[in-house]
Amino acid sequence: MQRLLSSIYKELLVLIRDKAGLAILFIMPLVLILIMTVIQDATFRTVKEVNISMILVNNDKDSLGEAISEGLYASEFFQIVEEIDEKEITEEMAKELVAKGDYKLGIIIPERATDAIRGNVNALINKSFKSFNIAGVKKRTKKSTIDVTIFIDPATSQSFKNMVMSSLKEFTSQLEIEMFFKNFSEALTQLMPDQKPIKFESFETIKYKEVYASTTNDEILPNSVQHNVPAWTMFAMFFIVLPLAGNIIKERDDGSAFRLKTMPGSFITVMFSKIFVFLSVSFLQFILMLLVGVYIMPTLGLPQLEIGPHKIALGVMAIASGLAATGYGVAIGTIATTHEQAATFGAVSIIIFAALGGIWVPVYVMPHAVKIISQFSPLHWGLNGFYDIFLRGGDLWVIAAEAGKLLIFFALMLFIAIVYNNYNKTK
Amino acid sequence: MQENNHIIELKYLTKYYKGSNVPAIDNISLNINKGEIYGLLGPNGAGKTTTISILCGLFGPTSGNVFIDGMEYQHSAEKIKNIIGVVPQDIALYPSLTAKENLTFFGHMYGLKGKHLKTRIEECLELFGLEKNANRRIKTFSGGMKRRINLIAGILHKPKIIYLDEPTVGVDVQSRNVILDHLRSINKEGTTIIYTSHYMEEAENFCSRVAIIDKGNILTEGKPKDLVNSKEEYIDLESIFLNITGRALRDE
Repeated sequence: MQRLLSSIYKELLVLIRDKAGLAILFIMPLVLILIMTVIQDATFRTVKEVNISMILVNNDKDSLGEAISEGLYASEFFQIVEEIDEKEITEEMAKELVAKGDYKLGIIIPERATDAIRGNVNALINKSFKSFNIAGVKKRTKKSTIDVTIFIDPATSQSFKNMVMSSLKEFTSQLEIEMFFKNFSEALTQLMPDQKPIKFESFETIKYKEVYASTTNDEILPNSVQHNVPAWTMFAMFFIVLPLAGNIIKERDDGSAFRLKTMPGSFITVMFSKIFVFLSVSFLQFILMLLVGVYIMPTLGLPQLEIGPHKIALGVMAIASGLAATGYGVAIGTIATTHEQAATFGAVSIIIFAALGGIWVPVYVMPHAVKIISQFSPLHWGLNGFYDIFLRGGDLWVIAAEAGKLLIFFALMLFIAIVYNNYNKTK
Repeated sequence: MQENNHIIELKYLTKYYKGSNVPAIDNISLNINKGEIYGLLGPNGAGKTTTISILCGLFGPTSGNVFIDGMEYQHSAEKIKNIIGVVPQDIALYPSLTAKENLTFFGHMYGLKGKHLKTRIEECLELFGLEKNANRRIKTFSGGMKRRINLIAGILHKPKIIYLDEPTVGVDVQSRNVILDHLRSINKEGTTIIYTSHYMEEAENFCSRVAIIDKGNILTEGKPKDLVNSKEEYIDLESIFLNITGRALRDE
């Protein structure tokens, strides 16, 4: 026990006296979490909160052009640009401006686009009232199509593009329905002169009510902070692998590890002391990151982090994640022969674990094969556990499986380090 | 086995490193008596470090047996590690810790504690003229001071056997004399010293017996004076060394 305590004290002294290293260890994760949350906040905001510049060339100057224009202006999601230097933007200019990356999108509504819709609506009504031979109904039957061109900056995200397309289709459908209803009503009036024309009304009979599913009655609203703080906290905690592996390699390079190997009961004692100290550091990092979420983020205009009522579950997840990260660091530090190996492998493998774990892209949108692989990422387990607590209101029992996997990962890494250390003795 | 005075016995020791078909040490046997200062001398790549590493328990031999105070590492590693002290050639200390903090840590690892450890550290620091620098960080020490602390860390627990790997390399004459004088006094108290060096003159004066090894084999063994007197052409230990290991340059 004295050996372990003395070893812990020594590790603490070494850590505390490396002021630059200590600053990096605590400041970098905080910077990371702040920057990533602020950046990713936009994707979580409602439509009205974001403003993206977009070109609109309305050559139609009729109902469709007006409907799209009004719809886009009304959405407040876009900053619509129709003129530059008091000159109307043409299709060629729009294409060039989008190609240069000055604008994300350019929508070109062609001439006579409304006529095309009108013609198709009339054709349909004509077909429906063919046997009644109504005078007002035009005799056109051929269906026509017209292209609304959308120039897209290749750097535009797929989800943003999909959202715009969906909005445009909605505006067009609305116009088609209104036109159809109007013409249908006129045709009916001709057929039944006593019948007053019917005005089109949108009933909105079906309303959509959003309820966030939770295992408890605690209603935690998902927002950028609730999503990003656990995700980037998990990511930052795993970066403890680098200083820990570096510490082990430095000890080996300095020759202290050689001396320790000739001393009684050293390897396990030394490793446990390192795990204890670096686990404490990662737990402190975790607490600091939570405090940033609760106190600093609201001052930057971000939502406040809601920790929820299950603080023991949160503590267990933090310790399990910290152990998984330190175990991984011990394994890398034991196996890697140089700082370069440890730093490169450690950093890249954490990024891979993070990508597979769903830190950037949710696991549910990944291809099937990747989804299977992601089940083996410790960052996936950690992230799921934290989401259970921060978003689903999960308690200790809910996170038990994820915490268990992280603890097994820790034990496995430690086992690998011990086996490798013993293997080295037989060289 | 313990009827004799041998504290270390190497029996038919052979070591092949993985992937090599040339033995680093080849079927060597030697006995070291209690209280001896035994020098392992040889050119680079002769097998000294491999022999010392096996004696320290860092790894085992491919074949043969090592007895330390009658015990073998396979069965009594912890007991053996308690009676040996190792002074590596590298400065195996924590540069950001003070001399006292380093020694306290290594003392605790050897099981020393409390007042006994404190007294022992003060005693050793005084013995090696470092008492005024006890609270200075190692990274601020000169090469000679680091060597002395490196040595203290290996002898703090008063081991029965001390392994010294080039303990005076790169130090000034004053530090060298302090180190060797204190090693002699420790030896007089009954500690056995196993020592490697490239300084033949130092080895000749310091060791009670030496073995010159090369290519994993012991070429000659005995008291320095007896070896020098064994042939007329031998003037000193260095002339013997060059005569039997050759004058060709050696790589590591």
